[in-house]
Amino acid sequence: MFNKMKKGDLVVGSIVLLLIIISFAGVKIYNSLGSGNGKIAVIRQNNIIIKTIDLDKLKESQEIKIDGDFHNTILLENGRIRFEDADCPDLVCVKTGWLDKNGQMAVCLPNKVSVKIEGSDEGLDGVAF
Amino acid sequence: MTKTKKMVLLSFFAAGAIVLSIIESMFPVPLPIYGVKLGLANIITIVLLYFFGIREALMVVCIRVFLSTLYGGGFVVFLFSITGGILSTLVMGFLMKVFFDRLSLSSVSVVGSIMHNLGQLLVAGVVMKDFAVLGYLPVLMISGVIMGVFIGIISNFLISSLKRINVFTIKP
Repeated sequence: MFNKMKKGDLVVGSIVLLLIIISFAGVKIYNSLGSGNGKIAVIRQNNIIIKTIDLDKLKESQEIKIDGDFHNTILLENGRIRFEDADCPDLVCVKTGWLDKNGQMAVCLPNKVSVKIEGSDEGLDGVAF
Repeated sequence: MTKTKKMVLLSFFAAGAIVLSIIESMFPVPLPIYGVKLGLANIITIVLLYFFGIREALMVVCIRVFLSTLYGGGFVVFLFSITGGILSTLVMGFLMKVFFDRLSLSSVSVVGSIMHNLGQLLVAGVVMKDFAVLGYLPVLMISGVIMGVFIGIISNFLISSLKRINVFTIKP
């Protein structure tokens, strides 16, 4: 029967713990690789870059509206960016909140829109692990 | 077990799984991350793997995912759930078959929920054409471990009650 703790559980438990630690480390390393000095916000839809904005040079707040299957409103301010509003069903993108560090990203999967802050050194994006 | 009885039992479980996933969708998700969820329907998958086998469990998972994404969701959600569901069922079935008496159900369901999240994230990566979404994996793994342990305990209760009522052994 499967009721009690078995020997195998220890093995599974330690493997899972190890995997969690490794993946945390991997994400940390990946994020630190992507961080240059500047804060460039890259907005993509269907993985096509539709807008790149240097957040540090932004003086006043600005709104960008994106259409598609759904509609997103993205709000930009000096040094930070967020999904302000959306009409997708889950609103994960809006709940993610402000992005203000390099490597952070917010995603609206229903509309296939992603916002990511990338460092000023170009060329790092996509698969790293 | 006759063919008809098997069909009736499997559709009964499929209906249960759909109800569980509808109930689950009523719970608010505390984290702004795709894929953090209770995974209640996984109970049915584990019970089916225990009493039937991988083939039957896969069948019910496919029916459940198809019908429950008709209720809420859409094509993208369907792709996520079906990939995660199939991957986790296969891995859990393998674990229960090979390590039958060496693993508790909680371990099996923890591994299953991690596989589910992994499958979902891979599909998300393909849909977005950007595998940076894999960065969600650590958080999803932690939520998967917590929920997986609970789901394993619940499945244990369900399996022992189902054994007691002999629904699988009584002649029709």
